[in-house]
Amino acid sequence: MRTSPICVWSQVNGERKMAALRAGCWARALQKVKGQGFKHMFFGARTAAGLSKDALPGSYPKTPEEIAAAAKKYNMTVQDYQPYPDDGMGFGDYPKLPDRSQSERDPWYSWDHPDLRRNWGEPMHWDFDMFIRNRVDTSPTPMDWRTMSGTLLGFVGFMLFMFYVGEVFPSYQPVAPKQYPYNNLYLENGGNPEKEAEEVKNYKI
Amino acid sequence: MADYKEAPLASRPRTLDPAEYFNLSPEYRRAEEERAALRANLKRQYQIQLNNPLRKELIEDPALTRWTYARTNVYTHFRPTTKTSLLGALFGVVPLFFWFAVLKTDRDKREEKIKAGTYDRTYKISS
Repeated sequence: MRTSPICVWSQVNGERKMAALRAGCWARALQKVKGQGFKHMFFGARTAAGLSKDALPGSYPKTPEEIAAAAKKYNMTVQDYQPYPDDGMGFGDYPKLPDRSQSERDPWYSWDHPDLRRNWGEPMHWDFDMFIRNRVDTSPTPMDWRTMSGTLLGFVGFMLFMFYVGEVFPSYQPVAPKQYPYNNLYLENGGNPEKEAEEVKNYKI
Repeated sequence: MADYKEAPLASRPRTLDPAEYFNLSPEYRRAEEERAALRANLKRQYQIQLNNPLRKELIEDPALTRWTYARTNVYTHFRPTTKTSLLGALFGVVPLFFWFAVLKTDRDKREEKIKAGTYDRTYKISS
């Protein structure tokens, strides 16, 4: 495909600009970490965020001091903080929050993030991405769960049963093969007009 | 609604929660005040950062960082126990053998039918 000269020129210019930008970034980075060693520049073992290692989740807390420290870390009261049971499933000291979806929260309160109905810094549920308002909703139902599921399963089960019965015992209008007039269409089927056709009687009185 | 029963995906509304009506003891109030103090502190931190006119970067949420870190580093706290071994076997090992058995028997039956000449190809486009 032939591109116009103007497109080509602007593309090349753009690439040159990008290359210059990248070179500038490298120069600035080299200036900053001057004297800290090669290792720090490329393989720096630091968290990407500004958090220190003890502000990140750790292993399951066993002593009361660890529990208090973990509660403080997650911005929860010691009463509310309850870690997942330590059965090796990989939760560590992450708090076990009640399984309530975000659609249950007050829609009129001025949340920091209104679509997520969450405030900044609030401890997030392990399954937070499941409990957003587009997905699982745990808000109270107009009827209790047993009635609802009973009604649905009852209706669906009944319909399935009746359709099955209809397959086993079919019921339809009586049918027979189609009957054609004029001696089973003797002339239309290519019969000899001179010859007398045999009489075909498709009825019986 | 007095006979309203909770379910895993249907919670009890706050207006039907007896704790809201009866639990007005001093301990409950103190606990609520503690929670409110924590919330207010977080709100203050956020608002200060949000309304800072010299701020140029995004406000980083440590709770979000912790959540992401916890969700991505599950294996560091993994420990082989009976529960985890059973689950691993159930989800990782059993399906292999189960689906092998199912597919193999199905294909063998089809092969027998083809060899015997009884394979019904009436509605098949591909085979």
